[in-house]
Amino acid sequence: MTREETLERIRDLQARVQELRRASDNPAIERTMQLLDLYCHMARWELGDVRAMNPEAEAR
Amino acid sequence: MNLYKPEVEAQKFWNPYTQTMPRAELDRLHLRKLQTAIEYAYARSPMYRKLLDRHKVKPEQIRTMDDFVKRLPFVDKKEILDAQAVGPPFGDALAIPEDFFHQRFATSGSTGVPLHIPLTYHSAELWGESWVYVYWAAGLRARHTFYFPFNWGIFAAFWSAYMGVRRLGATVVSGGGLDSKARLRQVEQYRPDVMLATPTYALYLGETAREIGMDLTKTSISHVIVAGEPGGSIPATRHAIEELWGARCYELYGIAELGPTNPGCPLREGVHLCEDWYHALVVDESGNPVPYGDVGEHIVTSYIQDGQPLIKYRTHDLVRWTDRPCGCGTTWLYYPGGVLGRTDHMIIVKGVNVYPSAVEALLHRVAGLSEHYEVHVDRDLTNDFVTVRAEARPDVDTARYAGLGRDAEGVFKSVIGVSIDVTVEPPGSLPRYELKAKRFFDHRPAAHRWQLAGRGDA
Repeated sequence: MTREETLERIRDLQARVQELRRASDNPAIERTMQLLDLYCHMARWELGDVRAMNPEAEAR
Repeated sequence: MNLYKPEVEAQKFWNPYTQTMPRAELDRLHLRKLQTAIEYAYARSPMYRKLLDRHKVKPEQIRTMDDFVKRLPFVDKKEILDAQAVGPPFGDALAIPEDFFHQRFATSGSTGVPLHIPLTYHSAELWGESWVYVYWAAGLRARHTFYFPFNWGIFAAFWSAYMGVRRLGATVVSGGGLDSKARLRQVEQYRPDVMLATPTYALYLGETAREIGMDLTKTSISHVIVAGEPGGSIPATRHAIEELWGARCYELYGIAELGPTNPGCPLREGVHLCEDWYHALVVDESGNPVPYGDVGEHIVTSYIQDGQPLIKYRTHDLVRWTDRPCGCGTTWLYYPGGVLGRTDHMIIVKGVNVYPSAVEALLHRVAGLSEHYEVHVDRDLTNDFVTVRAEARPDVDTARYAGLGRDAEGVFKSVIGVSIDVTVEPPGSLPRYELKAKRFFDHRPAAHRWQLAGRGDA
Protein backbone atom coordinates (compact mmCIF):
# COMPACT_ATOMS: atom_id res chain seq x y z
CA MET A 1 0.00 0.00 0.00
CA THR A 2 1.36 3.45 -0.83
CA ARG A 3 1.91 6.18 1.75
CA GLU A 4 -0.95 8.22 0.30
CA GLU A 5 -3.36 5.27 0.43
CA THR A 6 -2.30 4.50 4.00
CA LEU A 7 -2.79 8.11 5.04
CA GLU A 8 -6.19 8.32 3.41
CA ARG A 9 -7.34 5.26 5.37
CA ILE A 10 -5.91 6.59 8.64
CA ARG A 11 -7.66 9.96 8.21
CA ASP A 12 -10.95 8.20 7.47
CA LEU A 13 -10.49 5.88 10.46
CA GLN A 14 -9.62 8.81 12.73
CA ALA A 15 -12.76 10.72 11.73
CA ARG A 16 -14.92 7.68 12.52
CA VAL A 17 -13.12 7.08 15.82
CA GLN A 18 -13.67 10.70 16.85
CA GLU A 19 -17.33 10.44 15.94
CA LEU A 20 -17.76 7.27 18.01
CA ARG A 21 -15.94 8.85 20.95
CA ARG A 22 -18.37 11.75 20.93
CA ALA A 23 -21.39 9.46 20.57
CA SER A 24 -20.49 6.85 23.20
CA ASP A 25 -21.72 7.09 26.80
CA ASN A 26 -19.57 4.16 27.94
CA PRO A 27 -16.39 5.27 29.80
CA ALA A 28 -14.39 2.26 28.60
CA ILE A 29 -15.32 2.89 24.98
CA GLU A 30 -14.71 6.63 25.23
CA ARG A 31 -11.20 6.05 26.64
CA THR A 32 -10.39 3.44 24.00
CA MET A 33 -11.55 5.76 21.21
CA GLN A 34 -9.48 8.58 22.73
CA LEU A 35 -6.40 6.37 22.58
CA LEU A 36 -7.22 5.28 19.03
CA ASP A 37 -7.50 8.93 18.04
CA LEU A 38 -4.08 9.57 19.58
CA TYR A 39 -2.53 6.63 17.74
CA CYS A 40 -4.01 7.88 14.46
CA HIS A 41 -2.33 11.23 15.15
CA MET A 42 0.99 9.45 15.79
CA ALA A 43 0.63 7.36 12.65
CA ARG A 44 0.05 10.49 10.57
CA TRP A 45 3.23 12.09 11.94
CA GLU A 46 5.13 8.85 11.26
CA LEU A 47 4.12 9.24 7.61
CA GLY A 48 5.04 12.91 7.49
CA ASP A 49 1.48 14.23 7.69
CA VAL A 50 2.45 16.92 10.17
CA ARG A 51 -0.17 19.07 11.82
CA ALA A 52 -0.73 19.89 15.49
CA MET A 53 1.67 18.68 18.19
CA ASN A 54 -1.15 17.47 20.43
CA PRO A 55 -4.55 18.17 18.82
CA GLU A 56 -6.60 17.37 21.91
CA ALA A 57 -4.64 19.80 24.08
CA GLU A 58 -4.69 22.45 21.40
CA ALA A 59 -8.48 22.16 21.00
CA ARG A 60 -8.99 23.36 24.59
CA MET B 1 4.14 -13.41 20.44
CA ASN B 2 4.10 -13.32 16.65
CA LEU B 3 2.67 -9.84 16.45
CA TYR B 4 3.96 -8.86 13.02
CA LYS B 5 3.26 -10.48 9.67
CA PRO B 6 6.38 -12.37 8.44
CA GLU B 7 7.01 -9.90 5.62
CA VAL B 8 6.72 -7.00 8.07
CA GLU B 9 8.90 -8.71 10.69
CA ALA B 10 11.57 -9.07 8.01
CA GLN B 11 11.64 -5.31 7.39
CA LYS B 12 15.03 -3.76 8.12
CA PHE B 13 13.62 -0.51 9.53
CA TRP B 14 10.89 0.31 12.04
CA ASN B 15 9.68 3.20 9.88
CA PRO B 16 11.11 2.63 6.39
CA TYR B 17 9.30 5.70 5.07
CA THR B 18 11.44 8.20 6.98
CA GLN B 19 14.50 6.08 7.76
CA THR B 20 15.36 5.90 4.06
CA MET B 21 14.13 9.35 3.06
CA PRO B 22 16.61 11.41 1.01
CA ARG B 23 18.31 14.15 3.05
CA ALA B 24 16.71 17.09 1.19
CA GLU B 25 13.25 15.64 1.74
CA LEU B 26 14.00 14.93 5.39
CA ASP B 27 15.11 18.53 5.86
CA ARG B 28 11.88 19.82 4.30
CA LEU B 29 9.91 17.59 6.65
CA HIS B 30 11.98 18.83 9.60
CA LEU B 31 11.15 22.42 8.73
CA ARG B 32 7.42 21.68 8.87
CA LYS B 33 7.83 19.88 12.20
CA LEU B 34 10.00 22.66 13.63
CA GLN B 35 7.48 25.31 12.61
CA THR B 36 4.72 23.28 14.27
CA ALA B 37 6.74 22.86 17.47
CA ILE B 38 7.70 26.56 17.61
CA GLU B 39 4.12 27.76 17.03
CA TYR B 40 2.93 25.35 19.72
CA ALA B 41 5.53 26.49 22.26
CA TYR B 42 5.03 30.19 21.57
CA ALA B 43 1.25 29.92 21.90
CA ARG B 44 1.23 27.83 25.07
CA SER B 45 4.46 28.13 27.07
CA PRO B 46 4.99 31.47 28.88
CA MET B 47 8.71 30.73 28.98
CA TYR B 48 8.98 30.38 25.20
CA ARG B 49 6.77 33.39 24.54
CA LYS B 50 9.00 35.56 26.75
CA LEU B 51 12.16 34.10 25.25
CA LEU B 52 11.13 34.67 21.63
CA ASP B 53 9.75 38.13 22.43
CA ARG B 54 13.04 39.01 24.08
CA HIS B 55 14.86 37.95 20.92
CA LYS B 56 12.30 39.81 18.78
CA VAL B 57 11.32 36.76 16.76
CA LYS B 58 7.84 35.46 15.97
CA PRO B 59 7.07 31.88 14.94
CA GLU B 60 5.86 33.01 11.49
CA GLN B 61 9.32 34.49 10.84
CA ILE B 62 10.86 31.00 10.86
CA ARG B 63 10.31 30.31 7.17
CA THR B 64 13.53 28.48 6.34
CA MET B 65 16.02 26.23 8.09
CA ASP B 66 18.44 29.15 7.97
CA ASP B 67 15.92 31.24 9.94
CA PHE B 68 15.72 28.48 12.49
CA VAL B 69 19.50 28.26 12.81
CA LYS B 70 20.19 32.00 12.92
CA ARG B 71 17.16 33.65 14.50
CA LEU B 72 15.99 31.29 17.19
CA PRO B 73 17.82 31.38 20.54
CA PHE B 74 19.33 28.37 22.25
CA VAL B 75 17.74 27.18 25.46
CA ASP B 76 19.75 25.85 28.35
CA LYS B 77 18.77 23.82 31.39
CA LYS B 78 19.10 26.91 33.57
CA GLU B 79 16.28 28.67 31.70
CA ILE B 80 13.98 25.70 32.20
CA LEU B 81 14.90 25.62 35.90
CA ASP B 82 14.28 29.36 36.23
CA ALA B 83 10.91 29.02 34.48
CA GLN B 84 9.97 26.11 36.75
CA ALA B 85 10.93 28.17 39.81
CA VAL B 86 8.23 30.73 38.95
CA GLY B 87 5.56 28.27 40.10
CA PRO B 88 7.07 24.93 41.13
CA PRO B 89 7.23 22.28 40.00
CA PHE B 90 6.68 23.30 36.34
CA GLY B 91 5.93 27.01 36.33
CA ASP B 92 6.33 28.96 33.10
CA ALA B 93 7.97 26.06 31.25
CA LEU B 94 4.65 24.27 30.98
CA ALA B 95 2.65 24.26 27.74
CA ILE B 96 -0.26 22.06 28.71
CA PRO B 97 -2.77 21.72 31.59
CA GLU B 98 -1.48 19.34 34.25
CA ASP B 99 -4.48 17.02 33.80
CA PHE B 100 -2.86 15.90 30.53
CA PHE B 101 0.09 14.46 32.45
CA HIS B 102 0.64 10.75 32.28
CA GLN B 103 3.84 10.61 34.32
CA ARG B 104 6.24 12.99 36.03
CA PHE B 105 9.98 12.55 36.20
CA ALA B 106 12.80 14.57 37.69
CA THR B 107 16.56 14.65 37.44
CA SER B 108 18.57 13.89 40.56
CA GLY B 109 19.65 17.49 41.05
CA SER B 110 23.13 16.25 41.90
CA THR B 111 24.61 19.37 40.26
CA GLY B 112 21.94 21.74 41.54
CA VAL B 113 18.14 21.89 41.61
CA PRO B 114 16.23 18.90 40.16
CA LEU B 115 14.71 19.50 36.72
CA HIS B 116 11.08 18.37 36.55
CA ILE B 117 10.03 16.48 33.43
CA PRO B 118 6.33 16.12 32.61
CA LEU B 119 5.15 13.49 30.13
CA THR B 120 1.73 13.29 28.54
CA TYR B 121 0.43 9.92 27.34
CA HIS B 122 1.33 11.08 23.84
CA SER B 123 4.92 11.95 24.75
CA ALA B 124 5.33 8.75 26.79
CA GLU B 125 4.28 6.68 23.78
CA LEU B 126 6.78 8.52 21.61
CA TRP B 127 9.62 8.17 24.13
CA GLY B 128 8.90 4.49 23.86
CA GLU B 129 8.78 4.59 20.10
CA SER B 130 12.19 6.27 20.04
CA TRP B 131 13.68 3.14 21.65
CA VAL B 132 12.01 0.82 19.18
CA TYR B 133 14.31 1.95 16.35
CA VAL B 134 17.29 0.39 18.13
CA TYR B 135 15.34 -2.69 19.24
CA TRP B 136 14.17 -3.29 15.68
CA ALA B 137 17.63 -2.65 14.20
CA ALA B 138 19.09 -5.18 16.65
CA GLY B 139 16.65 -7.81 15.37
CA LEU B 140 14.45 -7.74 18.45
CA ARG B 141 10.78 -8.40 17.93
CA ALA B 142 7.59 -8.93 19.92
CA ARG B 143 8.57 -12.53 20.79
CA HIS B 144 11.59 -11.39 22.85
CA THR B 145 11.81 -10.77 26.59
CA PHE B 146 13.62 -7.78 28.09
CA TYR B 147 15.18 -7.72 31.57
CA PHE B 148 15.36 -4.43 33.52
CA PRO B 149 17.81 -4.62 36.45
CA PHE B 150 16.64 -1.36 38.06
CA ASN B 151 14.66 0.11 40.86
CA TRP B 152 11.86 2.10 39.29
CA GLY B 153 12.26 5.58 40.74
CA ILE B 154 11.41 9.10 39.62
CA PHE B 155 14.43 9.27 37.30
CA ALA B 156 13.44 8.87 33.66
CA ALA B 157 16.43 6.54 33.10
CA PHE B 158 15.13 3.25 31.73
CA TRP B 159 11.41 4.02 32.07
CA SER B 160 11.41 5.11 28.45
CA ALA B 161 13.09 1.84 27.48
CA TYR B 162 10.21 0.06 29.21
CA MET B 163 7.75 2.19 27.25
CA GLY B 164 9.63 1.08 24.15
CA VAL B 165 9.22 -2.59 24.97
CA ARG B 166 5.49 -2.03 25.35
CA ARG B 167 5.43 -0.18 22.02
CA LEU B 168 7.29 -3.04 20.34
CA GLY B 169 4.86 -5.53 21.85
CA ALA B 170 7.51 -7.59 23.64
CA THR B 171 7.74 -8.86 27.24
CA VAL B 172 9.20 -7.15 30.30
CA VAL B 173 10.76 -8.70 33.40
CA SER B 174 11.50 -6.22 36.19
CA GLY B 175 14.47 -6.63 38.51
CA GLY B 176 13.34 -3.75 40.74
CA GLY B 177 13.78 -4.12 44.48
CA LEU B 178 16.45 -6.81 44.15
CA ASP B 179 20.20 -6.78 44.64
CA SER B 180 22.55 -7.81 41.86
CA LYS B 181 22.80 -11.45 42.96
CA ALA B 182 19.02 -11.84 43.08
CA ARG B 183 18.77 -10.26 39.65
CA LEU B 184 21.17 -12.76 38.18
CA ARG B 185 19.16 -15.57 39.72
CA GLN B 186 16.06 -14.03 38.14
CA VAL B 187 17.81 -14.07 34.75
CA GLU B 188 18.36 -17.81 35.22
CA GLN B 189 14.72 -18.27 36.19
CA TYR B 190 12.94 -16.21 33.53
CA ARG B 191 15.46 -16.64 30.68
CA PRO B 192 15.13 -13.15 29.13
CA ASP B 193 16.75 -12.43 25.76
CA VAL B 194 17.76 -8.83 26.38
CA MET B 195 19.53 -7.04 29.24
CA LEU B 196 19.14 -3.25 29.47
CA ALA B 197 21.77 -1.51 31.58
CA THR B 198 24.36 1.20 31.77
CA PRO B 199 27.70 -0.08 30.43
CA THR B 200 29.08 0.19 33.95
CA TYR B 201 26.34 -1.94 35.46
CA ALA B 202 26.45 -4.50 32.64
CA LEU B 203 30.12 -4.97 33.50
CA TYR B 204 29.56 -4.82 37.25
CA LEU B 205 27.14 -7.74 36.99
CA GLY B 206 30.16 -9.67 35.76
CA GLU B 207 31.86 -9.16 39.13
CA THR B 208 28.71 -10.33 40.90
CA ALA B 209 28.48 -13.35 38.63
CA ARG B 210 32.07 -14.30 39.49
CA GLU B 211 31.25 -14.06 43.21
CA ILE B 212 28.41 -16.56 42.87
CA GLY B 213 30.19 -18.76 40.35
CA MET B 214 27.89 -17.93 37.45
CA ASP B 215 29.02 -17.82 33.83
CA LEU B 216 27.08 -15.05 32.09
CA THR B 217 27.88 -16.45 28.64
CA LYS B 218 25.76 -19.46 29.59
CA THR B 219 22.66 -17.36 30.35
CA SER B 220 19.78 -16.74 27.93
CA ILE B 221 20.90 -13.15 27.27
CA SER B 222 21.65 -12.71 23.57
CA HIS B 223 21.51 -8.90 23.45
CA VAL B 224 22.76 -6.25 25.87
CA ILE B 225 21.46 -2.74 25.20
CA VAL B 226 23.35 -0.03 27.02
CA ALA B 227 22.45 3.59 27.69
CA GLY B 228 22.96 6.34 30.24
CA GLU B 229 26.67 6.84 29.66
CA PRO B 230 29.14 6.39 26.78
CA GLY B 231 30.40 2.89 26.21
CA GLY B 232 28.29 1.13 23.61
CA SER B 233 30.09 2.95 20.81
CA ILE B 234 33.53 2.56 22.38
CA PRO B 235 34.83 -0.65 20.79
CA ALA B 236 36.85 -1.81 23.79
CA THR B 237 33.94 -1.33 26.21
CA ARG B 238 31.49 -2.94 23.82
CA HIS B 239 33.80 -5.92 23.30
CA ALA B 240 34.25 -6.30 27.07
CA ILE B 241 30.46 -6.43 27.53
CA GLU B 242 30.02 -8.83 24.62
CA GLU B 243 32.75 -11.12 25.89
CA LEU B 244 31.34 -11.08 29.42
CA TRP B 245 27.77 -11.88 28.36
CA GLY B 246 28.40 -13.85 25.17
CA ALA B 247 25.92 -11.44 23.59
CA ARG B 248 25.73 -8.62 21.06
CA CYS B 249 25.88 -5.14 22.56
CA TYR B 250 23.91 -2.17 21.18
CA GLU B 251 23.64 1.39 22.37
CA LEU B 252 21.07 4.13 22.76
CA TYR B 253 22.04 7.69 23.59
CA GLY B 254 19.43 9.84 25.28
CA ILE B 255 19.07 12.84 27.54
CA ALA B 256 16.77 12.78 30.58
CA GLU B 257 14.74 15.86 29.72
CA LEU B 258 14.59 15.14 25.96
CA GLY B 259 14.25 11.37 25.87
CA PRO B 260 15.89 8.71 23.67
CA THR B 261 17.28 10.97 20.95
CA ASN B 262 19.76 8.64 19.25
CA PRO B 263 19.23 4.92 18.64
CA GLY B 264 22.41 2.95 18.06
CA CYS B 265 23.37 2.00 14.53
CA PRO B 266 23.06 -1.76 13.94
CA LEU B 267 26.69 -1.70 12.74
CA ARG B 268 27.49 -0.61 16.31
CA GLU B 269 30.17 1.99 15.66
CA GLY B 270 27.95 4.93 16.55
CA VAL B 271 24.40 6.25 16.83
CA HIS B 272 21.88 7.83 14.49
CA LEU B 273 19.66 10.81 15.22
CA CYS B 274 16.05 9.66 15.59
CA GLU B 275 14.82 12.03 12.91
CA ASP B 276 11.17 11.04 13.26
CA TRP B 277 11.00 12.78 16.62
CA TYR B 278 14.07 14.99 16.97
CA HIS B 279 16.00 17.62 15.07
CA ALA B 280 19.64 18.36 15.85
CA LEU B 281 22.38 20.84 15.18
CA VAL B 282 26.02 20.45 16.15
CA VAL B 283 27.61 23.82 16.92
CA ASP B 284 30.95 25.31 17.85
CA GLU B 285 31.57 27.67 20.75
CA SER B 286 30.34 30.64 18.70
CA GLY B 287 27.00 28.89 18.18
CA ASN B 288 27.56 28.23 14.47
CA PRO B 289 26.85 24.76 13.07
CA VAL B 290 30.09 22.89 12.44
CA PRO B 291 30.56 21.20 9.05
CA TYR B 292 29.63 17.53 8.81
CA GLY B 293 32.57 15.51 10.07
CA ASP B 294 33.42 17.97 12.85
CA VAL B 295 32.84 17.86 16.59
CA GLY B 296 30.65 20.28 18.50
CA GLU B 297 27.87 20.61 21.03
CA HIS B 298 24.68 18.67 20.32
CA ILE B 299 21.68 21.01 20.16
CA VAL B 300 18.37 19.16 20.02
CA THR B 301 14.75 20.06 19.32
CA SER B 302 12.10 17.60 20.43
CA TYR B 303 8.85 17.00 18.56
CA ILE B 304 7.73 14.88 21.49
CA GLN B 305 7.73 17.21 24.48
CA ASP B 306 4.24 18.69 24.31
CA GLY B 307 4.18 19.17 28.09
CA GLN B 308 7.40 21.10 28.40
CA PRO B 309 8.70 22.03 24.92
CA LEU B 310 12.43 21.90 24.27
CA ILE B 311 13.58 23.77 21.18
CA LYS B 312 17.26 24.26 20.32
CA TYR B 313 18.07 22.75 23.68
CA ARG B 314 21.70 22.63 24.76
CA THR B 315 22.62 19.09 25.72
CA HIS B 316 26.26 19.93 26.60
CA ASP B 317 27.19 16.65 24.89
CA LEU B 318 30.01 16.64 22.37
CA VAL B 319 29.36 14.67 19.19
CA ARG B 320 30.79 14.36 15.70
CA TRP B 321 28.02 14.40 13.11
CA THR B 322 28.05 13.22 9.55
CA ASP B 323 25.56 12.97 6.70
CA ARG B 324 27.60 10.37 4.85
CA PRO B 325 25.60 7.29 3.82
CA CYS B 326 25.71 4.69 6.57
CA GLY B 327 26.31 1.04 5.79
CA CYS B 328 23.13 0.14 7.65
CA GLY B 329 21.10 1.83 4.92
CA THR B 330 19.42 4.65 6.81
CA THR B 331 19.67 8.26 5.70
CA TRP B 332 19.36 9.55 9.27
CA LEU B 333 22.31 11.59 10.58
CA TYR B 334 25.11 9.50 11.99
CA TYR B 335 27.35 10.20 15.00
CA PRO B 336 30.40 7.93 14.82
CA GLY B 337 31.60 7.01 18.28
CA GLY B 338 28.37 8.20 19.94
CA VAL B 339 28.87 10.81 22.63
CA LEU B 340 32.50 11.85 22.79
CA GLY B 341 32.25 13.75 26.05
CA ARG B 342 30.62 16.69 27.73
CA THR B 343 31.31 20.30 26.84
CA ASP B 344 32.11 20.87 30.48
CA HIS B 345 34.43 17.85 30.36
CA MET B 346 36.40 19.11 27.35
CA ILE B 347 40.09 18.84 28.13
CA ILE B 348 42.78 20.65 26.18
CA VAL B 349 46.29 19.49 26.98
CA LYS B 350 48.97 21.51 25.20
CA GLY B 351 46.55 22.32 22.39
CA VAL B 352 45.29 18.76 21.97
CA ASN B 353 41.60 18.02 22.58
CA VAL B 354 41.26 15.01 24.84
CA TYR B 355 37.84 13.40 25.18
CA PRO B 356 37.00 11.26 28.23
CA SER B 357 35.66 8.58 25.87
CA ALA B 358 39.13 8.35 24.28
CA VAL B 359 40.68 7.90 27.72
CA GLU B 360 38.30 5.02 28.40
CA ALA B 361 38.96 3.43 25.02
CA LEU B 362 42.73 3.58 25.51
CA LEU B 363 42.66 2.22 29.06
CA HIS B 364 41.02 -0.92 27.68
CA ARG B 365 44.15 -1.51 25.59
CA VAL B 366 46.16 -2.20 28.71
CA ALA B 367 45.73 -5.83 29.69
CA GLY B 368 45.41 -6.08 33.45
CA LEU B 369 43.31 -2.94 33.96
CA SER B 370 39.60 -3.29 34.73
CA GLU B 371 36.74 -1.16 33.40
CA HIS B 372 36.69 0.96 36.57
CA TYR B 373 38.50 4.27 36.38
CA GLU B 374 38.26 7.98 37.22
CA VAL B 375 39.57 10.92 35.24
CA HIS B 376 40.67 13.98 37.25
CA VAL B 377 41.35 17.25 35.43
CA ASP B 378 43.07 20.30 36.87
CA ARG B 379 44.79 23.30 35.44
CA ASP B 380 48.08 25.07 36.03
CA LEU B 381 48.82 28.55 34.67
CA THR B 382 48.61 27.58 31.02
CA ASN B 383 47.36 24.03 30.57
CA ASP B 384 44.83 21.45 31.62
CA PHE B 385 46.46 18.37 33.05
CA VAL B 386 44.95 14.99 33.59
CA THR B 387 45.45 12.18 36.04
CA VAL B 388 43.71 8.82 35.84
CA ARG B 389 42.95 6.44 38.70
CA ALA B 390 42.44 2.96 37.29
CA GLU B 391 41.63 -0.31 39.01
CA ALA B 392 43.63 -3.45 38.32
CA ARG B 393 41.84 -6.69 37.51
CA PRO B 394 41.49 -9.12 40.44
CA ASP B 395 44.03 -11.57 39.00
CA VAL B 396 46.85 -9.00 38.79
CA ASP B 397 49.55 -9.04 41.46
CA THR B 398 50.09 -5.72 43.28
CA ALA B 399 53.76 -5.83 42.30
CA ARG B 400 52.67 -5.20 38.70
CA TYR B 401 50.60 -2.08 39.43
CA ALA B 402 53.36 0.45 38.79
CA GLY B 403 54.27 -1.24 35.52
CA LEU B 404 50.63 -1.23 34.38
CA GLY B 405 50.45 2.49 35.11
CA ARG B 406 53.53 3.09 32.98
CA ASP B 407 52.02 0.97 30.18
CA ALA B 408 48.85 3.09 30.23
CA GLU B 409 50.86 6.32 30.24
CA GLY B 410 52.76 5.02 27.24
CA VAL B 411 49.54 4.28 25.36
CA PHE B 412 48.23 7.80 26.01
CA LYS B 413 51.51 9.37 24.91
CA SER B 414 51.80 7.31 21.74
CA VAL B 415 48.15 7.57 20.61
CA ILE B 416 47.03 11.06 21.60
CA GLY B 417 50.44 12.56 22.12
CA VAL B 418 49.92 13.91 25.60
CA SER B 419 51.19 12.99 29.03
CA ILE B 420 48.59 11.62 31.41
CA ASP B 421 49.60 10.30 34.83
CA VAL B 422 48.05 6.97 35.70
CA THR B 423 47.86 5.42 39.15
CA VAL B 424 46.74 1.82 39.44
CA GLU B 425 44.78 0.75 42.49
CA PRO B 426 43.46 -2.54 43.89
CA PRO B 427 40.09 -3.98 42.80
CA GLY B 428 37.15 -2.42 44.67
CA SER B 429 38.96 0.88 45.35
CA LEU B 430 36.59 2.96 43.22
CA PRO B 431 32.83 3.33 43.77
CA ARG B 432 30.31 1.17 41.87
CA TYR B 433 27.13 2.54 40.31
CA GLU B 434 23.80 1.00 39.28
CA LEU B 435 22.95 3.85 36.94
CA LYS B 436 25.30 6.51 35.63
CA ALA B 437 28.86 6.17 36.84
CA LYS B 438 30.70 9.29 37.92
CA ARG B 439 34.07 9.02 36.25
CA PHE B 440 34.97 12.62 35.50
CA PHE B 441 36.15 15.00 38.20
CA ASP B 442 36.84 18.54 37.11
CA HIS B 443 38.92 20.67 39.45
CA ARG B 444 39.47 23.49 36.95
CA PRO B 445 38.22 27.06 37.43
CA ALA B 446 34.92 27.56 35.56
CA ALA B 447 36.46 30.10 33.17
CA HIS B 448 38.56 27.36 31.60
CA ARG B 449 35.63 25.18 30.57
CA TRP B 450 33.68 25.17 27.28
CA GLN B 451 31.63 28.38 26.89
CA LEU B 452 28.93 28.61 24.24
CA ALA B 453 28.63 32.29 23.45
CA GLY B 454 27.56 34.65 20.70
CA ARG B 455 24.57 34.67 18.43
CA GLY B 456 21.28 33.61 19.88
CA ASP B 457 22.62 32.27 23.16
CA ALA B 458 20.00 33.37 25.63
